Amino acid sequence: MQKQISFGQSLTLGLLGLLGFIGLWHGLALSGLISSVFLPSPLEVYDRFSTLTERRFAGATLPGHLAASFERFAYGFILAALIGIPLGLLMGWYQILDEIVSPLFDALRFVAPIAWVPFAALWFGTGIGGPIMIIFAGAFPPCVINAYRGAKFVDPRLIEAANMLGTPSHRVIREILLPSSVPSIISGLRVSAGLGWQSLVGAELIVASAGVGYMMVQGQANVSTTTVMAGMVAIGLVGLTLDSALRLAERMIQNRRGLEH
Amino acid sequence: MPRRISIGFATIFVVCIIWYAFTTGLGIIPSGRFPSPAETWSALTHVSGRGYGGGDLAMHVYNSLRLVVMGFLFAVVTGVPLGLLMGWSRRAEAFINPIFLIIRPIPPLAWIPLAILWLGLGDAAKIMVIWFSAFVPSVINTYAGVRNIDRPVLEAAYMLGMPKLRFITEVLVPGASPMIFTGLRLSLQASWTTLVAAELVGAFYGLGRVLNVAQQDLYPGMILVGMIAVAILGWGTTRVLGMAEAWALRWNTAALAAKG
Amino acid sequence: MGVIEFQNVDKVFGPRETGFRALQDINLEIRDKEFVAIVGPSGCGKTTCLRMVAGFENATDGIVSVDGTPIKRPGPDRAVVFQQFALFPWKSVYDNIDLGLRNLNVGRSEREARIAAILDLMNLTQYAKHFPHQLSGGMQQRVAIARAYVLDPDVLLMDEPFGALDAQTRVVMQEELVRLARKNPRTVLFITHAVEEAVYLADRVAIMTRAPGRIKEVLDVASIRNAENWDSQEKIEDVMDLESFVHLRTHIWRSLREEKAAQHS
Repeated sequence: MQKQISFGQSLTLGLLGLLGFIGLWHGLALSGLISSVFLPSPLEVYDRFSTLTERRFAGATLPGHLAASFERFAYGFILAALIGIPLGLLMGWYQILDEIVSPLFDALRFVAPIAWVPFAALWFGTGIGGPIMIIFAGAFPPCVINAYRGAKFVDPRLIEAANMLGTPSHRVIREILLPSSVPSIISGLRVSAGLGWQSLVGAELIVASAGVGYMMVQGQANVSTTTVMAGMVAIGLVGLTLDSALRLAERMIQNRRGLEH
Repeated sequence: MPRRISIGFATIFVVCIIWYAFTTGLGIIPSGRFPSPAETWSALTHVSGRGYGGGDLAMHVYNSLRLVVMGFLFAVVTGVPLGLLMGWSRRAEAFINPIFLIIRPIPPLAWIPLAILWLGLGDAAKIMVIWFSAFVPSVINTYAGVRNIDRPVLEAAYMLGMPKLRFITEVLVPGASPMIFTGLRLSLQASWTTLVAAELVGAFYGLGRVLNVAQQDLYPGMILVGMIAVAILGWGTTRVLGMAEAWALRWNTAALAAKG
Repeated sequence: MGVIEFQNVDKVFGPRETGFRALQDINLEIRDKEFVAIVGPSGCGKTTCLRMVAGFENATDGIVSVDGTPIKRPGPDRAVVFQQFALFPWKSVYDNIDLGLRNLNVGRSEREARIAAILDLMNLTQYAKHFPHQLSGGMQQRVAIARAYVLDPDVLLMDEPFGALDAQTRVVMQEELVRLARKNPRTVLFITHAVEEAVYLADRVAIMTRAPGRIKEVLDVASIRNAENWDSQEKIEDVMDLESFVHLRTHIWRSLREEKAAQHS
């Protein structure tokens, strides 16, 4: 029968798994079975990581590249939220808007954000506009969809109660519809941030002149596997931090309302 | 809802009119920026007929589709069993989770440079990247699916007592299947995104390559053709998956209620 | 044979000293083919008793055994009917009932015969190909009972089986269960908090105290039932009208009320 395991056991197993993984990696790298060009050891990657924080590569240090990446991400993400959330809310509240916009949305849904890269390159060259556009393409749908769901699936009884209490419509929107959509919106922001960050990486691999993705491509072109891996680690760390921060926000909001998911 | 569908068509119709007007009619959008309907059509005939970027449309479509399907299936065949294992055995979960937590935050596209370093510009690298990106959603959703099986249903299965294999095939997998399919949808989506990106970075053929060459040639009409082709293939493969899902989940009230 | 025995059973959830003590010193014997109901205030541990016989929980101290063998894990010899039905939603009614028999390696023709018989008995024959979601709560629970019964188990464990049904369906199911139990008797452990249900169905009723649960009293219903000839009444409401029935019921209510009062004090 399925056994529950104690926290201690789970911790031990986790550490074993982790150490096993790193050990295997290290072992393979050092054994010489695979040349260190292909598989640098964890230490070499760490080494490269710290070097890059001081020394420039492909135009900037690692923190420099990260800053450039994050800047684009921020613009694209905020733009997506500022346009997407109100749009989603309005679509949820006003059926006619939903019927007009949804078909367009559904048609564009199947175009992966990355497919906008050629047009982005065509219109913006390697300027900052390109990546921002791609990030927007990735971050926009979840913002809209989640705001839409939050607005549409308000418990109808709440609205009935508000009407019974004689609440004027602007107040219904501000004090009932909006607050009840917030959990869904925050959830959407989390997904949106994740997709936006991913789209950024993709965009930078192709049409950038700065940023972590660009650094990785240069690393690949120079056959510097350690650079590529260091880049991957950096991207992963930033993505994780972003996600954790938003997850925390999500949980704080859920706790305040006594919602358990 | 008929009204919804007719408004939908109306909207798309209006968009097409605007498209034509802005590009050909009024010339508001210069042809270097966004193609007119005529330019798009001519690009389509170009790539279907003479070919572009190394082959004709059929060949590019075939290759992209081939790689997506292979990568997707590979990811599913490895991901779902792992998700089942992690969902079922707390031990396995505790052991594998940390490794997963490390790999997960790395965006799938970030594996592309590494894949190219390891496997070059050919098919193998593409499949590897697709595998990485499609693998994660399958595992996570399968895992959640197993955890979501109602406790009493599991206990009823224990009470009936059965050999392990039967338990897996007749209780665990069907029980988790709604969420498994959610994972498959996400995996498919990820597969397409990753393939297009990988082909954009470097490929010998495929729709991504068409997009890439068209961008370098400053050929907006072809870019649009490429994008539409990707969208149609994405939609088509999702439909096929949807049909499989509908058949497998005939018994699922929640899904039926949502669609109705 | 299906003799259930609780010997000096304690159950603590969590660490032995500081955890939640659900059961204290339970001693109870359920004889072969006897129908015993356990009633008690919520949280008293009566479901835990059933789960220990089923093999889903282990006793912290003492022994829970069937036919002298201590229980280690769940199995089809102790068939369970759950409050939430717990049917496999992806299997048809027929397949739900079939699964248990397949696990017992019963041959195909025998399976078909047994399933046909139980479907007929429970008035489910025309629903054989239906999926659970297409059936009402009462029908689903019939399927669950069929699934358990078809295994021909020594012991039948029913955990508040009618708790999730509406009042009218509940009454119908109680009548059906009585018919089934008289026709096809076996050892039954029945958990409920509905006193009338317990008195109507059981041979003996055990009353549990609030947590940590002890067996406060065990009433012999069967002798009264037979002496007063309850079974001659066709409808459940006629039985519940009888003075002997009311007397037993009130006795149990009073006993439970003491527990409730003590719980709040």
